[in-house]
Amino acid sequence: MSPALAIALKDLRQRFRDRSAIVLGFLAPLVIAVVMSAAFRGTEHFHTDVAVVDHDRGPVSAAFVAMLSSPGVSEVVHLKTVGGEAQARAQVKDGKLGAAFVVPAGFSDAAHSDAPTHITVLGSVNASIAREVCSSLAESFTAQLQADRLSIAAALASGADPTRLAELAAESARLRLPLTVTSGDLGGRQLTATSYYAPSMAIFFAFFGIGFGARSFWTERRSGTLDRIVASPAPLGATLLGKSLATLLFCLASLTTMAVVTSVAFGADWGPTPAAAAIIIAVGLATAALTALVSTVARTDRQVDAVASIVTFGLVILGGNFVFVSQAPGVLRRLALLTPNGWAMRGFIDLQSGLSWTAVILPVAAISAFTVVVVALAAARSRRVILS
Amino acid sequence: MTALAFAGAALRRITRDRTALFFLIILPVLVIVLVGLTVRGADRFRVGIVQPRGEAALARTLTTALDRVPALQISRYSGADAARTAVRRGEIVGAVLLPAGTAAQAATAPVQVSVVTSASSSDQQAVRAAIDSAIAPEGARLQAAAFAAQHAGVPFEAALARAEQLQRSQTPVSVHTDVVDSASSILPLGYSYSAPTMLVLFVFINATAGAAAIVQTRRLGIYDRASAAPVRTSGIVLGEVLAVLAVAVLQSLLIVAVGALGFGVSWGDPLAAAALVGVWALVGTGAGVLAGTVFRTSEQASAVGPALGIALGMLGGCMWPLEIVSPAMRTIGHAAPQAWAVDAWTALIARNGDLAAIGRQLAVLGAIAVVLIGLAVLRLARQVLQPART
Repeated sequence: MSPALAIALKDLRQRFRDRSAIVLGFLAPLVIAVVMSAAFRGTEHFHTDVAVVDHDRGPVSAAFVAMLSSPGVSEVVHLKTVGGEAQARAQVKDGKLGAAFVVPAGFSDAAHSDAPTHITVLGSVNASIAREVCSSLAESFTAQLQADRLSIAAALASGADPTRLAELAAESARLRLPLTVTSGDLGGRQLTATSYYAPSMAIFFAFFGIGFGARSFWTERRSGTLDRIVASPAPLGATLLGKSLATLLFCLASLTTMAVVTSVAFGADWGPTPAAAAIIIAVGLATAALTALVSTVARTDRQVDAVASIVTFGLVILGGNFVFVSQAPGVLRRLALLTPNGWAMRGFIDLQSGLSWTAVILPVAAISAFTVVVVALAAARSRRVILS
Repeated sequence: MTALAFAGAALRRITRDRTALFFLIILPVLVIVLVGLTVRGADRFRVGIVQPRGEAALARTLTTALDRVPALQISRYSGADAARTAVRRGEIVGAVLLPAGTAAQAATAPVQVSVVTSASSSDQQAVRAAIDSAIAPEGARLQAAAFAAQHAGVPFEAALARAEQLQRSQTPVSVHTDVVDSASSILPLGYSYSAPTMLVLFVFINATAGAAAIVQTRRLGIYDRASAAPVRTSGIVLGEVLAVLAVAVLQSLLIVAVGALGFGVSWGDPLAAAALVGVWALVGTGAGVLAGTVFRTSEQASAVGPALGIALGMLGGCMWPLEIVSPAMRTIGHAAPQAWAVDAWTALIARNGDLAAIGRQLAVLGAIAVVLIGLAVLRLARQVLQPART
């Protein structure tokens, strides 16, 4: 067995024996994936319960209720029955309803005349999106009524014969707004919180391996083990390589376990297996390279903790592991692409959205380029650290 | 005196440790900024708009109308491909591909405004409803102008100008919004959300991760040596508790100061906020000292502390408002002390509550602190009295 592999296996045995590696590499990301999955179950899509308090009971209010129950709209709002306006208010306040519509008495008559009238949307301060969406639905409905009234008024004001009012009214009632919204579907799949946070948290906790490896390297140095290894026929960089190898194996085991368990148990989508594996291996190599760099950058064993913590948390903050980076402002999304984990998340997001395996070529190349730079920096400093 | 000496030594060790300072203040501030920027605007649908190639007179009018919709957070994209990619990556819920042409062209041949979404989700319908209502007034003007031009025999442009004039004074069939309550149960989105929630998250994480110092003290045999000296066990235990408490209070005060001075966060009633900071520091202290007596190695403490803190923080509403999760998860979330602390900050910041308004939360947190500190003190006292087993 090569000295580096022997050192790596010894390190892994130590870490697994004191259970810290099990907690960070497997238990913690799994627990957090469970919490995420449970928290966001059923909340991926906007949907809210609403009620209509119909004081009008005329043809226009009936058309409004029919619009709310139509196939497209009923995916957004689900109509519930309430006893009256007071109950609707109470249920909106309690959060049982997202919003409620109140159609006043005489609404149908007013809609067909020139009298002012309105639909009231009862909303809550705690359900702003439901309030806005329900207002939009009501406005979409009243828009055609408004347009028909405006059409008659504009025709008369432009010189149409006033005696033809009834004819104009009948004709305007058949009009449809010339601007309509159509929905186009990109295809692909909906990004879910579980599918985002499963790899995100897995990478976050795998990065703790950097600190383990680097700390272990300096422990060997302090205890004089490193000097004895240097004096042995083992290659000069065997210890550093061994520590990095231990981090790589820890990282690969942790990420693979997370991918399998979250996919099977919680339905997380990591994309096609070969493509996901390519990202996982690239992240593992980057983490191992970072272990070597942190080991060689620190000047004392006290500094190792500080440098490892700053590197780990700096990367996860910048790379978007703490928040759904897609929803962050543009500048933060661009900063995320300075990190290997940011590129990894870009790759996973593209895979989850239904793109083919080729979507990971750029992320894997970017992560690999990062790794090469880090390895070069670590190699340049390694001799000084090992022999000093 | 023994307690103060122990606490002083522990505090000196922490203030000399740059890693501790990183976790104490730099990391929480960075995360406050990150979460604050990300959740700002989370109460709106993110929509991208793409201008057409060629004549864009109608598109400009529609853009102005879309910019005015409160439910939409609009960003502009240079082309349809860039907007589609943004949709696929979840950066926006939908992309509005605005139509080319002029108002006159739209009036004679109906125009479709295409909204591209990532999947057949309900967001698609909600966004479509918002866009529909935003462009409806322009559609009404065009319909009226075409109708008037046809029936009055006037040029379209003249009829459109007349329709615009009439629309301003038209008797409305309007939509009124009546907000039935005023007491928000969600922290204001932005830094007023991220600062208090990250205070709750990081004070707890830091305290539990700080348990590594207690483990190290025990493993180095310092308790054994201290016990050999003429000092009381209670002094040693009290010293450790005071050190963790002092760090928790110091970190809280730093976050409060940075939040107020750097990000303009109003922390609410000062007396109530101080009480909440104090009680939460006690909860963190209890958890931290207890963790120090439970973990065998400092690696275990460093590993489990942050993981436990993050998991409880997620359950307790530090990473997202509990209002957006299912009622069952909201109930389960209140098993975590973090949920009670976030509820209390919500009452202070979102509802301008006072000490009485957060009495229930303070009582629950106080009870949790008493139990945690009680258990921690009992275990630590036993460990101080027993020889170290490393």
